Amino acid sequence: MLFQRPKLGPLLEYFRNPVEYNLEPYQKVLDEINRIKLHSASDSRLKQISQRLKGMARCGVQPDALQAEGFAVAAEAARRIVGMIPFDVQVLAGLALQQGKIVEMQTGEGKTLAAVMPAYLNGLSGQGVHVLTFNDYLAARDARWMGPVYEFLGLTVSHVTAETDRAGRKRAYAADITYLTAKEAGFDYLRDFLCQDKRDLVQRSFHWAIVDEADSILIDEARVPLVIAGKVPEDTGNRLHLARIARELRFGRDYETDSYGHNVYLTDSGLARAEKMLGCGNLYAPNNLELLTMFNSALHAEVLLHKDKDYIVRKGVIEIVDELTGRVAERRSWPDQLQAAVEAKEGLLPGAKGMILGSIALQHFLCLYPHLAGMTGTARQAAGELRQFYGLDVVVIPRNKPCSRRDYPDRVFTGKQSKNEALVREIKTRHKTGQPILVGTGSVEESELLAAELYKAGVKCQILNAKNDALEAAIIARAGERGSVTVSTNMAGRGVDIKLGGESEQDKAEVVQLGGLYVIGTNLQESRRVDAQLRGRAGRQGDPGESRFFLSLEDDLVQKYELAKLIPDRTNQRSSLERDIDSRVGKVLRRGQRIVEGYNSDLRAQLWKYSFLVEQQRKIIQQKRLDMLLDQAPLQLLANRAGERYFELCQSFGPEVLQKVEKQLTLYCINKCWAEHLDYLAYVREGIHLVVLAKESPLDEYHKLAIQGFQEMLARIDREIVDMFHRVNVQKDGIDLETEGLSGPSATWTHLMKDSPDQFTNLSFLAKAAKRMLGGPWRDVNP
Amino acid sequence: MIVDSLKSAWKVADLRKKILFTLLMFLVFRIGAHIPVPFIDRTKLLQLIGEGTLVQFFDAISGGAFKSFTVFAMSIAPYINASIIMQLLQVVIPSLQQLAKEGDEGRKKITQYIRYGTVVLGFIQALGLSIGLLQPTLALPAPGYKWPVILLISLVLTAGTAFLMWLGEMITERGIGNGISLIIFAGIVSRVPDGLKYILQLVQAGEANILSLLVLIVIAVLVIAAIVYIQEGQRRIPVQYAKRVVGRKVYGGQSTHIPMKVNQAGVIPVIFAISILAFPQQISTWFRGSWFANFVQTWFQMNGTWQSIPYLLVYAMMIILFTYFYTGITFNPIDVADNIKKYGGFIPGLRPGRPTAEYISKVLSRITMAGAVFLALIAVLPSIVIGLTGFKNIYFGGTSLLIVVGVALETMKQLESHLLMRHYQGFMK
Repeated sequence: MLFQRPKLGPLLEYFRNPVEYNLEPYQKVLDEINRIKLHSASDSRLKQISQRLKGMARCGVQPDALQAEGFAVAAEAARRIVGMIPFDVQVLAGLALQQGKIVEMQTGEGKTLAAVMPAYLNGLSGQGVHVLTFNDYLAARDARWMGPVYEFLGLTVSHVTAETDRAGRKRAYAADITYLTAKEAGFDYLRDFLCQDKRDLVQRSFHWAIVDEADSILIDEARVPLVIAGKVPEDTGNRLHLARIARELRFGRDYETDSYGHNVYLTDSGLARAEKMLGCGNLYAPNNLELLTMFNSALHAEVLLHKDKDYIVRKGVIEIVDELTGRVAERRSWPDQLQAAVEAKEGLLPGAKGMILGSIALQHFLCLYPHLAGMTGTARQAAGELRQFYGLDVVVIPRNKPCSRRDYPDRVFTGKQSKNEALVREIKTRHKTGQPILVGTGSVEESELLAAELYKAGVKCQILNAKNDALEAAIIARAGERGSVTVSTNMAGRGVDIKLGGESEQDKAEVVQLGGLYVIGTNLQESRRVDAQLRGRAGRQGDPGESRFFLSLEDDLVQKYELAKLIPDRTNQRSSLERDIDSRVGKVLRRGQRIVEGYNSDLRAQLWKYSFLVEQQRKIIQQKRLDMLLDQAPLQLLANRAGERYFELCQSFGPEVLQKVEKQLTLYCINKCWAEHLDYLAYVREGIHLVVLAKESPLDEYHKLAIQGFQEMLARIDREIVDMFHRVNVQKDGIDLETEGLSGPSATWTHLMKDSPDQFTNLSFLAKAAKRMLGGPWRDVNP
Repeated sequence: MIVDSLKSAWKVADLRKKILFTLLMFLVFRIGAHIPVPFIDRTKLLQLIGEGTLVQFFDAISGGAFKSFTVFAMSIAPYINASIIMQLLQVVIPSLQQLAKEGDEGRKKITQYIRYGTVVLGFIQALGLSIGLLQPTLALPAPGYKWPVILLISLVLTAGTAFLMWLGEMITERGIGNGISLIIFAGIVSRVPDGLKYILQLVQAGEANILSLLVLIVIAVLVIAAIVYIQEGQRRIPVQYAKRVVGRKVYGGQSTHIPMKVNQAGVIPVIFAISILAFPQQISTWFRGSWFANFVQTWFQMNGTWQSIPYLLVYAMMIILFTYFYTGITFNPIDVADNIKKYGGFIPGLRPGRPTAEYISKVLSRITMAGAVFLALIAVLPSIVIGLTGFKNIYFGGTSLLIVVGVALETMKQLESHLLMRHYQGFMK
């Protein structure tokens, strides 16, 4: 079934996620651009035009006024320098980006090139354009690839990766156009917040950002907090012991988990057993709090986090696997104790622990850019949320060539066993024809199991998962060759370009004959977009391809959210006799997937509500600090509040030194108190859902406490500055921060926190409670 | 404090719009409360109604719309009853319980059921009123039209209630506060001027002296203060979450706690008790002159004489009973203990699970006792006041006061939390 009948579904989808298909306004500009003939202009003429545009932009001419000419120049430069002529659809995409839209372009349609034109146009003014790529590798690649185009036109280009040092970063941010990941940009923002000297600031104020894989960054990863932490000493003594005890407990007898697998808790007998083994008496006695916390983490690590699914162990280090991308999530760690507990579980030496000094969710960080645009292959389904959180509209750009991939209906099985048998049969049959096959599994473990079974069945395959990501490029390069079978995780999703027949043109024709790449999904993901990204590996740029999903009622997603309940009883009963269930069940599961999507979207909306206020506070404190750092704030606190000592010291050292001292103390105290405030808020969040019992709204209550806390913090900053001023030793060049212990933690590092929803003890409860108003039975039910 | 909040709320365009919208809806409500139901002879009606408690209650919450029998005569009462019934059914019927837990979708469905229930209950009640109470007062356009007229009146009354329900929901959605509560609130408050006038008349006529007026005022102020105090009263059981962080400093111990309200059940038990005690009254109006009606007349009055003591005793007992019952439904110590345990929390020193549930239960039953006695006192207070001061026939309802103060407190809270957020946004820009 190549074309489906038109249905009501897409229409409803449209109302939920309004998407712009009308490209007429862009079409007009495109015609204008195409009318500008630069083909025969000399290189120097081109440079001259660019120079003129740059001059105008730096005099304050708005980019929109220079649009047609700028795009034409950039397109022509791209042709000359890298030999790529932007297709009309790419120019259209570029124009939509220029208007601050999220552009949906199908996979393989050349997003990198499409971004060059708006990046160039906005880079002209010199205020800085950040092209936020999906990973470091792409940042470096794209900057090197497209860099010469900009440089030819007289703009500076640079890129930042995790390895870039501080000086390099400063240079990179000073460039007209900077390629980097959103995370690096966010980390630098956090580091700047800790600066003691304005010369150490690396970033300029934000201007323009173009986000690649926008739905992933703006929606899926948006809640991941970027964290900067400072080292604090921690006793790691008996973690190994606790991990051993946790291992001896049994599911059901000693502990239970909630249905979503988010939490684990001891049963009465489990508690008795644990207390006996720990020899600590009542584990819940106030003096055992620390032990209890550590034990809870150990249990959580033992029961809820699975090796080769949630994380892998490589070279003695725990590496978290990102559930959406299937890749090792670089520099990510679980919060607080959990990381140490997992390390103990695997018998590793715990790494350094830190206190959070600053944090910002990617979502809020990106909102700091006054101009934001993005591109991705799957924006449509996220359009509602993109508008809600960022006020961004989605524009769908048509394909350059029509897609000729066949998406077959799902096949559904009762159990994993029968699903796997059918998978192996299917792969074996297809493999005989020589058609290349890409299998997307749900986890590292599953990919390895399937590969083993294929091996038994006599099919040779390549495994691509987080464990061997170093081989990624090599494996992907050959994944499109005749007869290749690649078993992967979600890693083979976003940003992976599989060329049919590998590098040679002749082989490609042969593979095209065989029907192109055949993509098989073995699981439903939490979002349709992830599935669509996997499918998108086949049928690039008009190539043929096929895709099908194999599902079972025992799949993780189905189990976790009890989707089987959605299946009407009649179907259910009959299906239990058959192994391959009729495709209607597949539709039910797909509906279930949409419900899960909605649930996750609700959670994100809820988190957003809770983070909004703190974000405002963060902006206030950030501004306050920046003003202080750039000497734009008056320094009069000490003179007013500690006059005696102030003037005494002023006599001996002079006013400049005292100014410096006040600045040093203020900067230090702002950081310290802000970190404490963050800590306090984290503490409040844990139990805030309980106020529902008093028929209060948790959100209102949280806001009340957050605001109170913030006011108190502002007062505390001043108090601590004064207190400290009385204690420190002032010398002729200010305070020696090192010896006074005011330099902050000896080392800082940045990482991402794993568990954004878990920052609330009971988020789904909150999501419900928030809707409920106060008191009375008629109030419980009002929306 | 209240004036300040209102003043600053007025400055925020968005909030001003919400407040204006709410006031506009009030106006609609008041206009409707003056549109009479057709085909009723008002003089006969006044004679008939006399001084039944039932009538007074309805009259109070409908803002006088009951006595003059306007289209809003039933006020929002069927909606309240439907909500109460729904709440009870959720305890009994597992599928409804499931629905209530299903989140947004489930709650929407339950709301929808309540709306249907309101219409059905409203119609039954309207029929009951028309047949049982209004029959002698009908002003038929022509003989033989009795049943069509009764049907018409019932439909009009039902439509009035349905309209009020819609009005309430509009306020919830686009105005400020909870619309349904506010409509009851507005009904009660709109009676205040009448009440004051009546009191002044009594004083002028010399039926009551200045001293008793003062006593009345003092008592009213004290009662209001007591209500505010008790409504806001909480016992806070500290809870620790030993999930992740160690060595965190202790933040006053107040932020993470199980809040146990002294008056967990709010005014619901009072409304329950009144609704149930209204039955004998209602039935007695249908069987005038029977032994039952006589019995009710003699022993079940609420007019501040000695005869009302049996009524008041039963009333107070029912309130205490319903307070326990309703608290039991809405606050289940086992669920609470379970929830805390599942998410890694505990009450310091107590093991999670049963010991925790037992502890919560113990505290709950003690605190509920206080709350229940308080509610009962507030509810029977009017009769005592009447007895003390000699102000006859004023409905100085403790119930009304509870509702008014409760709704006002809650609406203020909501306004303040709006303000808090606005203030912040304003601060940023």
